[in-house]
Amino acid sequence: MLNPVDHSPASRRDQFKAAVGNVAGERRRKQAIIIGKERRDAVVRAKRMRRADDNDEGMMYDEPFSDKIINEETVRAVQELKFLFSSSSKDSSQKKIEALRKLRRLLSCSSNPPVASAVEAGVVPILVKCLEFGSSDEQLVEAAWSLTNIASGDSELTLAILPALPLLIAHLGERSAAPVAEQCAWAVGNVAGEGEQARDLLSSQGALLPLAKLLLLNKPMLVKTAAWALSNIIKGPSSKAAVELFKVDGLSEAIIRHLTKGDEELVVEIAWVVVYITSLAESQTKLLIKSGLLPPLVAWLSSSESLSLLTPVLRSVGNLVAGDNSNTDALLDAAKDLPGGLFGCLVRCLGSEHRTLQKEAAWTVSNIVAGSLQHKQLVFGSRVVPTLLHLLATSTFDVRKEAAFALGNLSVMPAGESQLPQPIMEHLSMLVERGCLPGFINLVKSPDLEASRLGLQFLELVLRGLPNGQGSKLVEKEEGLAALEVLEYHDNDDLRSMANELIDKYYGEDYGLEEEYGPGIAEVVRGGEEYPSWRKGRGGI
Amino acid sequence: MQPAPEMLHTLSNCFLQTLAPNPEPRKLAENYLKQAAEQDGYGLAVLRLLTEQNVDDQVRQAAAVNFKNHVKYRWAPANSDLSAINEAEKDQIKALVVNMMLSAPPKIQSQLSEALAIISKHDFPKKWGSLLPELVTSLKNAGSDYSVTNGVLQTVNSIFKQFRYLYKSAELYVDLKYCLDEFAAPLLEIFVRTSQLIGSNAQSPNVLKPLFECQRLCCRIFYSLNYQELPEFFEDNMKQWMSLFHDYLVYENPLLKESRDDKESVLDQVKAAVCENINLYMEKNEEEFKDYLPGFAADIWGLLMKVSLSSSHDRLAMTAIKFLTTVSKSVHHNLFNQPDALKQICESIVIPNVELRDDDEELFEMNQLEYIRRDMEGSDIDTRRRVACELVKGLSTYFSQEVNSMFSAYVRGMMDRYSTNPLQNWKSKDCALFLVTALAPKQIPGSATGSSLVDIDQFFATAILPELQCEDVNSQPILKADAIKFVTTFRVQLPKQVSLTLIPHLARFLLSESNVVHSYSALCIERMLIIRDGKQLRFGAQDLAPFMSVLLNNLFAALKLPESQENVYVMKCIMRVLSNGDIAQYATNCLDQLVNILSVLYKNPSNPTFSHYLFEAIAALVRRSCEKSPELVGIFEVKLFPVFQDILALDVIEFAPYVFQIMAQLIDTRNPPLPPTYIGLFPHLLTPVLWQRSANVPALVRLLQSYLQRASGEIIQAKQLEPVLGVFEKLINSKNTDHHGFFIINTVVEYLDYQVLSNYVTGIWNLLFMRLQTHRTGKFIKSLIVFMSLFCVKYGHDILVESIQNIQQGLFLTIIQTFWVPHLLSITGDIEVKLCAVASTKLLCESPVLQTDAAIPVWGKLLNSLITLLIRPEEERVEDEGDVPDLDEMVGYTAVYAQLYNAGKKEEDPVKEVQDAKQLLVISLAKLSSCAPGKFPAIIQQSVEPANQAGLAQFCNTYNCSIV
Repeated sequence: MLNPVDHSPASRRDQFKAAVGNVAGERRRKQAIIIGKERRDAVVRAKRMRRADDNDEGMMYDEPFSDKIINEETVRAVQELKFLFSSSSKDSSQKKIEALRKLRRLLSCSSNPPVASAVEAGVVPILVKCLEFGSSDEQLVEAAWSLTNIASGDSELTLAILPALPLLIAHLGERSAAPVAEQCAWAVGNVAGEGEQARDLLSSQGALLPLAKLLLLNKPMLVKTAAWALSNIIKGPSSKAAVELFKVDGLSEAIIRHLTKGDEELVVEIAWVVVYITSLAESQTKLLIKSGLLPPLVAWLSSSESLSLLTPVLRSVGNLVAGDNSNTDALLDAAKDLPGGLFGCLVRCLGSEHRTLQKEAAWTVSNIVAGSLQHKQLVFGSRVVPTLLHLLATSTFDVRKEAAFALGNLSVMPAGESQLPQPIMEHLSMLVERGCLPGFINLVKSPDLEASRLGLQFLELVLRGLPNGQGSKLVEKEEGLAALEVLEYHDNDDLRSMANELIDKYYGEDYGLEEEYGPGIAEVVRGGEEYPSWRKGRGGI
Repeated sequence: MQPAPEMLHTLSNCFLQTLAPNPEPRKLAENYLKQAAEQDGYGLAVLRLLTEQNVDDQVRQAAAVNFKNHVKYRWAPANSDLSAINEAEKDQIKALVVNMMLSAPPKIQSQLSEALAIISKHDFPKKWGSLLPELVTSLKNAGSDYSVTNGVLQTVNSIFKQFRYLYKSAELYVDLKYCLDEFAAPLLEIFVRTSQLIGSNAQSPNVLKPLFECQRLCCRIFYSLNYQELPEFFEDNMKQWMSLFHDYLVYENPLLKESRDDKESVLDQVKAAVCENINLYMEKNEEEFKDYLPGFAADIWGLLMKVSLSSSHDRLAMTAIKFLTTVSKSVHHNLFNQPDALKQICESIVIPNVELRDDDEELFEMNQLEYIRRDMEGSDIDTRRRVACELVKGLSTYFSQEVNSMFSAYVRGMMDRYSTNPLQNWKSKDCALFLVTALAPKQIPGSATGSSLVDIDQFFATAILPELQCEDVNSQPILKADAIKFVTTFRVQLPKQVSLTLIPHLARFLLSESNVVHSYSALCIERMLIIRDGKQLRFGAQDLAPFMSVLLNNLFAALKLPESQENVYVMKCIMRVLSNGDIAQYATNCLDQLVNILSVLYKNPSNPTFSHYLFEAIAALVRRSCEKSPELVGIFEVKLFPVFQDILALDVIEFAPYVFQIMAQLIDTRNPPLPPTYIGLFPHLLTPVLWQRSANVPALVRLLQSYLQRASGEIIQAKQLEPVLGVFEKLINSKNTDHHGFFIINTVVEYLDYQVLSNYVTGIWNLLFMRLQTHRTGKFIKSLIVFMSLFCVKYGHDILVESIQNIQQGLFLTIIQTFWVPHLLSITGDIEVKLCAVASTKLLCESPVLQTDAAIPVWGKLLNSLITLLIRPEEERVEDEGDVPDLDEMVGYTAVYAQLYNAGKKEEDPVKEVQDAKQLLVISLAKLSSCAPGKFPAIIQQSVEPANQAGLAQFCNTYNCSIV
């Protein structure tokens, strides 16, 4: 049921469902507990190693050296550094730089960088030393680069660079040279990719605002890296960071500017920042919309062919429509001159060859159609519906489930006060006519409890909603009764009792009575004991 | 807290006594234990007893079972009658039970494992943080002791099962994540380690068996942990899991075969568990799984080629076929998109599994009920035939043309094979008939139209009709059953004329010696008789007339065949024939037969469905013959009463409700005066013991109503009104039966003059208002409003008001204000709504009590509610108030009340004179307002909601009235 106070996306998409439940939307928003692997795109994004520069002549370690040799080499390099940076050493800074660069190259070699050996050999304290104020920019970059790559590894290694954080953060400031700030942002981004606790630590050490301020600049490479690091810090589940971001003056405008004028790679990074803001910070989202977020967003949605760009853009749109109905209206308006409007954009994604986009787009639609009656009608009249029906019939399970949520929400009135969702007859009968029933019945039989419940709820709607008991006959014809019977002994109490109720109510003793005694009999018989009429025995036969 | 040795000794003795053959000491011991269980420390003491080596095994086993039950009922008692185990004792039990379970001998181990699972249901993991680490440690230390390993895994398996049936929720995910963090890695480790041991012990079955049991448990735990979604750990290690799964699917070792043919080997159990796991992945994680799919498809394929038809392989064959079905419907269905692949699946996997097996034949002969349940009533979800058909349907999703043409060819081939030697190859025809009916598209309940495999008309003529025309009703009974099932399935599609020619044949098969055949025949006739074309029954009395005699004869004869004395299909068919056919000339004879059956049956009622249809058949006879020829009532009474009397005298509680309903039906058909037999019986019907059984109540109420309607004079004369009101009093005081009380008092008001009732009326109101005060429910208030309305329209509003005001001045207005106004809108049912609307109108427009100045606000509100009642449809007005039946009061009822459709009561409208309640309202309002122009529009303006004002205006418009 749509709870008027709670506008989380879960409550919206769940309109179709009974009160309990939790959905992808909520997971995405809260990320409370992650059982599955983070989505591939997210994993790829979380931590990044910096490979060797092109201008690093003679990629010496790219060749198949044995791990052993490289590890030994690394330990030696660390020891050399240790020596050079010990107080007794009087060597020139140039020598130090060279030693640092050697180490950094070792740590950037592509196959299996020997970061563990380096950490074990005690590299971190030296690198911290290298970051001290007054060091040359070159030294700072090299040190931060090594730290970046150390932090791109396993959890243990990432956490190993924590002592370097205060200095890394200090070099994010406006007085730093761009390459220095960028490399430090990168290292910080990797730490943030480690997880919630690391993110909290970074926030408490003040990483957030300097990073956000970097977004105001017009240096694409730097902004790109800063945006990526920022997206890692603000991804939640707490909304604190995403909100605090906006203490930086001019941030909204900068975001819109990059989103509109940036190159594709920059737009991708900025869009991820938008993803987290739209999912976590409601009033900040409004601010962004006011500054003109929507036109560039829908423009990309309508024109881009790139999966890595469409993913965050579509997800942002999804988060927006999961908010409230006015967001949907604003999006419809922003896209009104694009081919096919907003729904044209969504159909593009629904029809994409990428499963993740299909799923994301179906999720988005399911939230739009959880809105007002008018939105439901708009979607119903668009090409979204045939595409969804096609997905429900043919796609992979996770996409089918999202498509089913969308079609289910399309078939019910906005949640009112009454307990049961009321069907929108025109939509329901049309969808059934176009053959959506087998898709829902397949879900009933699926081993996914949520999908099963969704299927059951749709069957209930069909059984109750379609006139003249058509529903029960259609459902039986599509083998829905058999699917219900499978659930009759399910271990999930809710599914079991729902299935049994439906069977009793629509296929119980009275089922087929119409055939036997003529129309109207079922009601007469049912009127019996539960809600007694004022006298015994309603109606003879 | 260490239990005293004497206590252990006593307990031990008690458990020994509970095994005694002699009921007396047994009862005594059981009672002692029951009392002891109330004491603190009991659970712990029983647990200790299990470890006493010198205690007899038998006793320890009994104690283990007792411990499990103790935990089941008292760990977190749902029922407040039982005291809960205290927290300190719980902690001690939790500290002990894991190790005890692991070191116990198998029979005790399984009980303790169950107990542990029960405890963990409540406490795990939040209140039992040590459990999983303890189990993991035991697993690590178990080494090669697989009794410990498997004990641990069995326990883990049962506590993780919750992940298979709970919805996703934040709490569940916290638990699941905890379990994954603790157990995913050890699980893989033990799975890998065990597989190595399996490799090195291929020659020793005694070593292998526990190893495979271990792998089976690992697979089941895998299933639980992967059920909600694919966990990261499993995705990262998918390759390792899948490669071992593959190993087991192709593993063969003759040493693991079971000696008994119907026992599933542990290897097959592992294979089946693997099939379930890969099926789960295929259903939910196609993307991640897709690289493994071709390999597994090949494995499953190979497996199904080899799997035998023995029932020990049923589960494996079915889970494997289900996997292929999942693939066939998935995005990867193209795996089968090669001509050979489809053909092989159909020929080597589907066909062998739909062919009739020896087991099925045996079932057909020995256990006809089960056979029918599976073959006809869809309880075959877990049979090979059904699962194979599901595969065909799955394949048809994307390859419907190919599949159809293949199967039509198979059906033709099977029919050809049959015709070369009908006696020997009859199973081919059985298979063909099965495929045609099972794969036909479904239409209305239990029937089908058309077939994509064959031309129905032609198939009917060549394959079905010859079977039905066969002279010998006992030859090749399975084919006869198939043919009749075919007719039942396609009954709607068969032309009426054809069906009519079939009836005599079907009638002959009623006498077949095969129970399945004569049951199918009865079922087929019964289903045919309820076909409707539009609203018209397809087979009317005239159509049936030529066959009535033979049908009834053979149906009653079928009930004399061995093991069909209580054949439900036959009795239901009798009921149907009696309901639809012209029975005048058969009525008394049929009644004799039915009474004969009843007089045997009541001595030992065993099949409630059969009994139900028997009484339905009697009710149908009464309805269809006595209503037409009232002179028959007397004859019916003479035949029925002796056996009815026996039933009531012997107190056959299952049948009493039916008897009361049919007696009511008989009374309804009679014209007054009722014969003295009925009047004589009346006082007995009021005996309290009858009313204590809840199944009797509705039937007795029904009967009482008939009496009140037809014999009110006699009842008053015999001074029986007071006892009737006594029954009313009893019923009204329970919230489960109060509506029945209202049924009675409503009937009293409807058929008795006020004069008779006037002495009691104060008592009645007192009773009702007392109940209203102490224990009000939505249902009660609604029923009260309906009763007051009936009172108002029958006796007049002035008597209603006066009799209530007599109790206390001003009470009437309070009742209206507090109950009537707010609850009027929850009235349901057309007649009820009309009645309450008419009464409300009368109160508004005629009763002086609402016309005083003080009452004006109430007047306005009442009008507002009334308009709501009249303009808004029921489903918008009424909220489900969810009165929960009081379970305590329902305890102890054995028989269930089942209403007889054929003995239903016709409902009468108590305000027939009013055509339209809306019209009455506006006319009355118009009349009232004309006496004081200007007064009422103002009140309406003030107290009626705008929407209702608009509604009222519309009424005025419609009926051309105005409120001035």
